Amino acid sequence: MSVLNAMRLRRALLAAVLLCAGAGPAMAAKAPHPDLSGFWMLSRARPIEDPVLAAKIAPGTVVLQDTGPVEYGSMNFGGLKLKPAALERAKHWNIKEDMTVANACRIPSIVYALQGPFPIEIFQGTEFTVMKLEYFDMVRVLFTDGRGHLPANGPHSKTGDSIAHWEGDTLVVDTTHLKEATITNNGLSHSDNVHVIERFRLSTDKRQLLATQEFEDPEVLDNRGARFITWDRVEGDHVHAYDCDPSFAENYAG
Amino acid sequence: MRLNKSITAVLLAILALLPAAAALAHHSFAVYFDDSKIISVRGEVTEFQFRNPHGLIRLTVRDAGGAEQLWKSETNSPSILERRGWTKDSLKYGEEIIVEGWPARDGSHYLRMRKVSRADGTPVGVPFEQAEQK
Repeated sequence: MSVLNAMRLRRALLAAVLLCAGAGPAMAAKAPHPDLSGFWMLSRARPIEDPVLAAKIAPGTVVLQDTGPVEYGSMNFGGLKLKPAALERAKHWNIKEDMTVANACRIPSIVYALQGPFPIEIFQGTEFTVMKLEYFDMVRVLFTDGRGHLPANGPHSKTGDSIAHWEGDTLVVDTTHLKEATITNNGLSHSDNVHVIERFRLSTDKRQLLATQEFEDPEVLDNRGARFITWDRVEGDHVHAYDCDPSFAENYAG
Repeated sequence: MRLNKSITAVLLAILALLPAAAALAHHSFAVYFDDSKIISVRGEVTEFQFRNPHGLIRLTVRDAGGAEQLWKSETNSPSILERRGWTKDSLKYGEEIIVEGWPARDGSHYLRMRKVSRADGTPVGVPFEQAEQK
């Protein structure tokens, strides 16, 4: 092979590598959008009710005040209006029955998990973005390649099917195909047909990740719910393994 | 079981607790524990579990009459505690400690840990209040 051909081959290989890498997280710096990548710890302060995000919340939506460590007590759902069947289920919910070996490591869906007091890590790409949640080792893939949702009869999971797009500096994530799971951790669960819209944007100083999570579930609720969620950027840390051990529940038995 | 030091259980009512201090729970803290009260239990460690979703400390406590009581204290998720300086070896069998936390609503000898101190008052890991100020 001549020197000229070798140089051409090297250039072609380099171009191919860059083309492939552009589809994944490695090329986030070249993306024309804000880079949300990094390790984010849920803020201990009350979440910021960012006016840009607040303006996008649909009218008539109740904003829950349970983000982070705060939780509602029995039969308090923060203003969510439960359908009669959901209300009846909530009345009969018993936390002691919930804390069994079979249930102790039951994974919540992203509806509850995202606002919990655990960190997340984001790896942003151009065609998809990966979000790792420390809580229960959950991993989400947010597709930004223009695809639509899975067919209605597609598989459901606790992370669901997420497609996303950018609206200015805000990443808008639309999630369906979530399996039934808790909303408020006190007896209220969403159905398999819950629909979730999340919006993520950086604070002006890029030190905080600001978000809203909106959900609607006509099978269970008569109104829509939302939460504000704020994370603080932390350098040098990473999501740890959660490795939930269900035998913890034996401590409730005696 | 060796109990060579006097052990006391002290109940403290603390009003207006910050909601943010109350939980870091994954199962329902608000339903299971009473966030309007703080109790403090002094005793000897008989077991320390350091696993998710929660750690657990088993303690032998001697009541005012000298009778032994078995207490359990649930901790935050170890993955959270690790960032506060805790490890699986933070507590030793037989070590005397003071656990402060929220009592179970059902009146059982079960509490949710807020803070742990060694017998000389040295906190284990970074106490919640300090971490909050970082």
